[in-house]
Order: sequence, then C-alpha cells, then structure tokens
Amino acid sequence: MGGLSLNYIMRRLLVFFLTLWVAATLIFIIPRLAPGDPITAMVARMSQQAGFVENADLIIEGWKERFGLNDPVYVQYLRYMGNLLRFDLGLAMARFPSPVSQLVSRALPWTIGLVGIATLIFFTVGNLFGALLAWTKTPKLVKVLIPMSMIFTSIPPLLAGLLLVYIFGFLLDIFPQAYAYHHSFRQPEFTLKFIGSVLHHGFLPAMAIVLVTFGYWALGMRGMMVTIEGEDYMILAQAKGLKPFYVLYRYMIRNAILPQMTALAVSIGTLVGGSVLVEVIFNYNGMGTLIFTAIREQDFNLIQGTSFILIVTSALAVLIIDLSYPLIDPRISLEGK
Amino acid sequence: MAAEAKTKAAVVAGGTKKAGAFNRFDNPWLNWKFLAGVSILGIIFFLIFLGNTFWDTSLALNASAPLNLPPYGMEYQKGKNNILVGVPEHPLGTENSGRDMLALLIVGTPRTLGVGAIAASVGMLVGIFLGFLAGFLGGWIDDVIRLATDITITIPSLLVLIVIQSVLGSVDLITMALLISMFAWATPTRYIRAQVLTMRESGYVQMARLSGVPTRNIMFREIMPNLLPYLAASYIGNMTGAIISAVGLEVLGFGPQRIPSLGVAIFFSIEAAALLRNMWWWWGIPTVILAIVFIALLLINLGLDEIANPRLRKAN
Amino acid sequence: MSEQRETGSERVVLDVDNLRIHYATPQGDVIAVSDISFELYEGETLGLVGESGCGKSTTAYGILQLVQPPGYIVHGSIEVDGTEVLNLTEEELRKFRWTGLSLIPQGAMNSLNPTMRVKAQIVDVIESHEGKANYESFRERLSVFLRKIRRPRRGEPLKKYLGEWLRNLTLLLRYEPLKERIFDLFQAVGLPNRIYNMYPHELSGGMKQRVCIAMGVALHPTVVIADEATSALDVVVQRIVAQTLVEVKDEIGVSLIVIGHDMGLLAQIVDRIAVMYAGKIVEIAPVENVYANPLHPYTQLLIDSIPSIKERKPLKITEGITHDPRNPPSGCIFRLRCPFAWEHCALEEPPQINVEAKHEVACHLFDEQFEERRSNAFAAIANS
Ligand SMILES: Nc1ncnc2c1ncn2[C@@H]1O[C@H](COP(=O)(O)OP(=O)(O)O)[C@@H](O)[C@H]1O
Ligand code: SF4
Ligand SMILES: [Mg+2]
Repeated sequence: MGGLSLNYIMRRLLVFFLTLWVAATLIFIIPRLAPGDPITAMVARMSQQAGFVENADLIIEGWKERFGLNDPVYVQYLRYMGNLLRFDLGLAMARFPSPVSQLVSRALPWTIGLVGIATLIFFTVGNLFGALLAWTKTPKLVKVLIPMSMIFTSIPPLLAGLLLVYIFGFLLDIFPQAYAYHHSFRQPEFTLKFIGSVLHHGFLPAMAIVLVTFGYWALGMRGMMVTIEGEDYMILAQAKGLKPFYVLYRYMIRNAILPQMTALAVSIGTLVGGSVLVEVIFNYNGMGTLIFTAIREQDFNLIQGTSFILIVTSALAVLIIDLSYPLIDPRISLEGK
Repeated sequence: MAAEAKTKAAVVAGGTKKAGAFNRFDNPWLNWKFLAGVSILGIIFFLIFLGNTFWDTSLALNASAPLNLPPYGMEYQKGKNNILVGVPEHPLGTENSGRDMLALLIVGTPRTLGVGAIAASVGMLVGIFLGFLAGFLGGWIDDVIRLATDITITIPSLLVLIVIQSVLGSVDLITMALLISMFAWATPTRYIRAQVLTMRESGYVQMARLSGVPTRNIMFREIMPNLLPYLAASYIGNMTGAIISAVGLEVLGFGPQRIPSLGVAIFFSIEAAALLRNMWWWWGIPTVILAIVFIALLLINLGLDEIANPRLRKAN
Repeated sequence: MSEQRETGSERVVLDVDNLRIHYATPQGDVIAVSDISFELYEGETLGLVGESGCGKSTTAYGILQLVQPPGYIVHGSIEVDGTEVLNLTEEELRKFRWTGLSLIPQGAMNSLNPTMRVKAQIVDVIESHEGKANYESFRERLSVFLRKIRRPRRGEPLKKYLGEWLRNLTLLLRYEPLKERIFDLFQAVGLPNRIYNMYPHELSGGMKQRVCIAMGVALHPTVVIADEATSALDVVVQRIVAQTLVEVKDEIGVSLIVIGHDMGLLAQIVDRIAVMYAGKIVEIAPVENVYANPLHPYTQLLIDSIPSIKERKPLKITEGITHDPRNPPSGCIFRLRCPFAWEHCALEEPPQINVEAKHEVACHLFDEQFEERRSNAFAAIANS
C-alpha cells in the first residue's frame, strides 16, 4: 500500500521515452525533408546574407564528409541516435569547434533556475489566490483585490517582459535590462554578492512569467474549489463543526490541488516556450538566448541540439511531476493493481 | 466584478436568509465576461474595418513614410539636438524603416488574429475528430490517440517549430498557421475525449443507446449540442495558444518580413534596439493591441466556462 | 401537541416547531418543508419516512443548519436541549455541531475526504471540539522511552527484542493518544482495527457507512440524524448496518432520527414513525400503532405497499407527488391523490389531530364532526 503502481509508472516512462524518441526523430527528419541537404542549404543562406562565400563547393563537400552526410540515411539515423545517447550533440558550426553540449551545459542551469523559481512562485501564489477567491470566509477587500491583480493573465510572457523591461529597466532603471548577472563578474562564483546580482537580474524575467501566468492557476483553483464545495464530504465537514481554516486547507485545498498538479504537467511545454522568448527579451544567459543566437548565426546544429535538450528537460520535468503525483493522491497507487 | 458582489449576498452560510437577486437564473449567455470579450473583439474588428476604408494601408510598406516619427503630439529626441515631432499625417508615428504605425496596425492585427484563427480551426477539427474517435471507440484506438496526445503536449511546440522554421526560413502566414496547427490538436483532443467520456455515462445518452439510436446519431444529436459551450471555450483557448506561438515565432524573426504582422513589428523593434532608443510606440503599440486581444479572448473563455458550468456561475 | 410533553415522563431533547424551508428557483420557491413540528424524546429512535423528494433530507439539513443554497429556512424554531439552534452565532454553532447534533449522511460513499486516512477524519472532529488531545511533550515521551529500553535478556529471541524496541520507538515518534478511543469506536460499530490507517477508497461501502456511524457518535451527541444511512447499500448489508446503528445508539445512549423510504426496514429499528408527504408530516405515532392502525390515507397506501408485511400486492404508489411543489393545492396537501377527498378537504388545511395517546394525524376524516364520513369510507375499503 502507498507505493506507486507498476502500471502507472510504466505508462509514464513509456510516454517519457516515446517523447524523446519522437522529438529526436523529428529533429533528424525535418532538415532532410527540406529541399536540398542541410549543409548546402546553410551555405546557400550564408552566401545569401554575405553576398558571396569563397570556395562554397569545397566547404559543402568538406562539411558533408565531416558530418557524414554522404552515408545512407539509416546509417546517419543510427549514428545520430547513438550520438544522442552519449549526449554528443556535435559541434556548433558557427562557433566551430565548440561542442554544442558544452554551450548547452553552460546555459541550461540558468533556464532551469529561472523557470523553476518562476513556476514555484506562480503555482503557489496562483493556487493560494484561487483558494481565497472561492473561500466563503475571505475578506471582501481581498476578493476585490485578487481579480484586479490578474489583469495581465493570458498575455504572453514575452510581451509582459517587454513592458517590464521598459518600465522597470529603462524608465525607472531599478532593475537591469539584460543578462543573468552583472558583467563585472567574469564567471559565476559562490559569493553573496554574486547571488544578489543573480536575484537582481532574474527578478524581471521571472516576474514576466509569473505575472501573466498565476491568474490562470488562480482561475483553475477557484473552479476546482467550487466543484469541491459541492462534494458530499464538504457537507459532512461543515456538519462536523471543524474550524473553517482547517476545512479550507485540509479538505478543500488538499483535494483541489490534485488536478492542479496534473494541469502543471500539461502546461510545461507552453511554459518552456514562453520562457525561451522571455530570455530573448532579457538577453538572459539561458537556453532561449542560445537558441536565438543560433538562429541569428544560422547554426542549425546548435538549434537542433539546444531544442532537443530543452525538450528532454521538459519531458523530464513532466515525468517528475507525474511520478510524484501518486505521493499526494492516495487513490492513484491502487489503480491498475 | 460588481455583479459578483451583488449575487454574493444570496449565498449566505447555511442558507438561512432569503436569496437575493436572481442573477444566477438569467439566460446563461448573458454573461458579462463573455459579452465584454466579444464586444472588445467586435470593436477591434470595427476599427480595422474603418481603417481599411479610410486609411492608406500601403503605408505599412517599407519606406513609405518618414523615419522614426513619434506619435502625433509627442516628441522624440533622436540625437543631441535632433528632435523629431509627431505629425498628423502619421498619428501613431512611424518606425525605423519608414512604415506608418497606424497602417501597420490596420494591416497587422487581422493577420495576427488570422494566423490564430486558422491554426485553431485546423487543430480544433482534428481534435474533435480524434476526441470523438477515442472517447467513443475506446480500446487500442483510444490508447494510441491518448499516447500521441500525451507526447504532443509534453513537447514544447515552440522548439520544434523553431527547428522547422530554421530550415524553411521565413514563411507566409498560412504556412505558419498550418505548422502551428500541427501541435494545436492535442489539447482539444484530450479535452473533448474527456467530455465525451463523461457525456457517454450521463443519463440521456445511456437512454438513447438503450433505445437503439445509432452511434452516429448519438454523437451528433445528443452529445454535440451539449458540448457546444465546451467546444467554444476550447476553441478560444486554442486560438490564444496559436496566437502566442505565432507571435513568438515572429519575434524570433520567422515571420513574413515584407508586410509585417504585429509580432514581426516587435521583432523589428527589438532588432533596432527600439527599447534603448526610447521609441516606445514602435513595440509598445503592437504590444498593447495584442494584450487587449488576449484579455478579450480570456474574458470570452471565462464567460464560456461559466456558461458551460452552472456551478461556477452560482459561485460568482 | 404540547400536552404530550407533560404526559410522558420522557424529556424532549429536540423540539422542531413550525419549520419551513424553501428552495429558490426561477419559477418561484419550491416548498420543500412546510411548517412541520415534532419532538424527539431522550433515548428514542424516531423514523422519518416518505417517498423520495418529500423533504426528508431537507428537514434533516434544516435541523442541522446545513441547508444548501438556493435553499433557505423561512421560519421555525429548532431547540436542542433547550438551546435555540437558529439563534446561535456562527462560532457557537460550530462548537454546537457534532456535540449537540450529528449527521450520518445520505451519501456515505462520498462523504469521507478521499485524501485523509480514516483515523485522521475521526481525530479531527474530536480535536476540533475537545481541543488537541493531551499530547505528552516529546521530552516526557523520551524519558518513558529511555526507561523502557533494556538490554536483551539471556536466551531471548532477537526478533522479540527488536519488535519491542520498534514498538517503543513508534510510541516515541508517532504518539497517537486517541488511538484507543478510536479502536473502541471501531469495535462498537463492528469495524476491524486494521482500517485505522486506511484511506476511504480502500474500504467497502458498508465499511464506509460504519466509519460514518462511528464518527457520528464519537462525541456522544445529544441527537444523531441518520439520513438514508443504508439506502446505498445492498439489502443484506443494509440490515446489518441498520442493526449496528441501533446497537450503537443503545450503547451510547443518544437520541436518533432515522430517515428512510423503506417502511419495512424502518419498522424494525424505530420506536416512533413520522410519515411525511410533500413537505408535511401527515401522521406521527409509535411504530406498532402505525402498522396496526394506520390512520392517514397516505399512510395506509404506504403500508399496503410493503410486500413483507402484508401479502404481495401491486404497488399502489406509482405516481409520486403529483402537484407542483411551488403551488401546493389548497387545503389538504394529499387531496389530489386521496381516495376519500371531498369538498371540505380543498377548503381547509387539516390540523394535527390527536387520535390516541402519542398518535397524531393530519386528516379531516378524524375530526369528530366528520365521524360518519370516516366510518363509511373505511367500510367501503374493507368491502372492496
Ligand atoms: N437545490 C434544489 N433546488 C430546488 N429544489 C430542490 C433542491 N434540493 C431539493 N429540492 C426539492 O426539495 C424537495 C425535497 O427534497 P429532499 O429533501 O432531498 O427530499 P428527500 O430527501 O425526501 O428525497 C424536492 O421536491 C426537491 O425537488
Ligand atoms: S384531509 Fe381529505 S384529502 Fe386530506 S387525507 Fe384526509 S381525506 Fe384525504
Ligand atoms: Mg433524501
């Protein structure tokens, strides 16, 4: 009793690995579906931009050889999959010879930190506000103020980021407009000053995500609370003469939070997409900015690698949420037994 | 929110007091959120129509107007002593490459909404088809559809779209809409499947089944009409998501460049460091228009939620 | 009615007077409970019976102050042990609940919080009314623990020694002072101790119902109201659970109101029966009287429809309540279905008539001035 059922875990793991496989295969197939081969296309685009590329044919041949594009497709596919398994994402063409995995491993922690902290904040605040909106004992004033705080809901984080950076970064100049920490630090260090700088720089990007997102969770939570208020066990809780606050958190929030957790897993994909764009706005040192740079530099290999790792990270986050769900919902562990 | 406060009085703990105004019994479609959202969108469309009729939309093209003019009545300090003043010929100002902002809005707003509408429609149609299929047939078909849905939802669609677009380069809006719709079917599918399953168990559908009504009739005569508010809410949510994706791709530079949409305008402004140059109207006006559109869509969605779910209505 | 209070030696623990409850709807108020009055004596079991939709649950929820919107109490008085429930403030009412009035709910299947263990749901009601159980401080428990641990005796099996060690450690870390009390409750309702740590979804329907009974009597309330406590269970379990209910009631000595629509089942467990029709109590009497001598035409219909009491007859109650609950007929509420109705029934609402000791009926036939009509009517029935 209390353990996870094998069925549940197996299904979640299946979804996880299938997601990785589908993503990897998509990323392999997409450039090959386009007319021409990726190298030729890239060089063509480079010459389009630069007007002229010296020895274009030689470059193309050299790179094709280097990336094994002359082999049959299935050989390429197997080699590609094998490389992915070893987390060998190849080289960033534009920043030859930097390995993609090195660039990614430098950027990924910043993205995880930013999205993780933002998620923690909007999930907590959103659910709390939603619960207060639905609770009958909430003071009137709070019930008026909460909806007012939600006016930004549903605006994409990107636009919120633009507004925030303009108001607080540019006009008021109280928060930095770019980067994850002050440029006087040459690299991350473990000092209070550095952490302070990181928080200072991270505040606006995190707020850009939180401000437009928490309202959704508040609305969802309110809906769940309303549903739960109609449950039979709520009538019994009232009849039992329990203290109102206890009923709120132990009977209502505790049950309403379960579907919210499921919803969180579903929203990870959208969330990561939004944060990529927020990073672009703030020139944050994370994966979003890395992708943006790669797009600018037409570095297809880097785009592929960064996207793939972000997809893996998202899938992993979903897996972790899904696997921790049975720990908070006692009913799941029995299903499928 | 005033309506909320008014009906609140009716819900007295224990119900010992006489119920107050009968707002909750009114026609559900007379929902203020729904109506407000629809009105805002209506006003936007009306303004676009007016603009198309009375404004020269060719001013949205490159180099059709002076550069960097602020909105009428504003000033913009370009260099040390180089002050530009807004002129009535370009009431919302112009941008870096000589596009009139007003013309840009008139042309760009419907294009942005259009991408969302097309992507959401395609996604919705596929979603209805797969959702009904999974919910009604069950078995391995349901398993496969559910798996595909779960995977599609887990993958951040923006990333795959970036990969695709970085191969294709910048594309026209229809193509972009179709690309987005490749991911826009999953959420409706999941949602409709769940609703169909719930409806299937409900009394009247069971009755219809027992009395031998063919499955097809049950689907379209019994379930569809009851699903309508849910479908509408799902469509609006889908549209919001599609517009967000489109704007995101455009801001990354994948949009059509010649006749810009709102997202492309923001991309240009970021490229040109409009923020640092304090050319707030360049990115600010498209941002505000988009924000209004999103708020309107959210209001419609919330309204539809309350229309579909009487309990939510009662709680207001 | 009030004479009864003096004649019997019994003390009235619950006095419902002129209680009226409406549900607001767009087409007007549904009159769910229409000016009903009755008393409950100490230690007694009163059955409230009537077909579905006649207002039994609403009456119960009215007494418990749990009427859910759009329902509301129009007027009335509910006294428990002399306390007017309707006058309590919110906090007073909270404290009064479960100690004065407790509920064994209709939908026991869904009445337990799915995310709380059974023990926690009983502990919470005890603790919120009696205060946090007298927890010994960790230091006290530690000293007990230190006193208890010892070296293994010579020749003592290691398993036994370790088992004792583990038990002491559990006592130290997870002290559950209410455990014994909850086990006693379990025993009273026939539940095994192993469900102590279980979640509701791990229990069968009958077990959940027993948990609700155990919970309902945990604080020895003055009055327990069981609303169709057994209706959702299958027939065999129904009887056993009903039996449990009566046993627990006798053991703990509370007064009980049992709501149901199954006359046969109710007859076996109640002392008195109140028959309800469309929001009114039409007859109230000791259970033997109701069966031996049903007076109200509706009661007669009900009794006739019990297969186990008389021989199997086609069920006469097929229509249910026929009038619109928003516009009840004038005069007697039952007149649209009553075989004996005559003009007078439409003119005047029948009063509660005290026919014999403790036996009241609301029907004009039992008014002395219509004596003759009554004998004729009943003779006609007997002949058919
Ligand atoms: N929420 C409600 N809205 C309108 N009418 C209601 C509501 N709840 C109950 N009623 C009406 O009140 C009457 C009594 O219901 P109830 O007390 O549940 O009956 P019982 O428990 O005897 O089956 C019924 O006629 C029912 O239609
Ligand atoms: S009062 Fe009249 S209608 Fe009512 S039960 Fe008696 S005889 Fe029938
Ligand atoms: Mg009932």
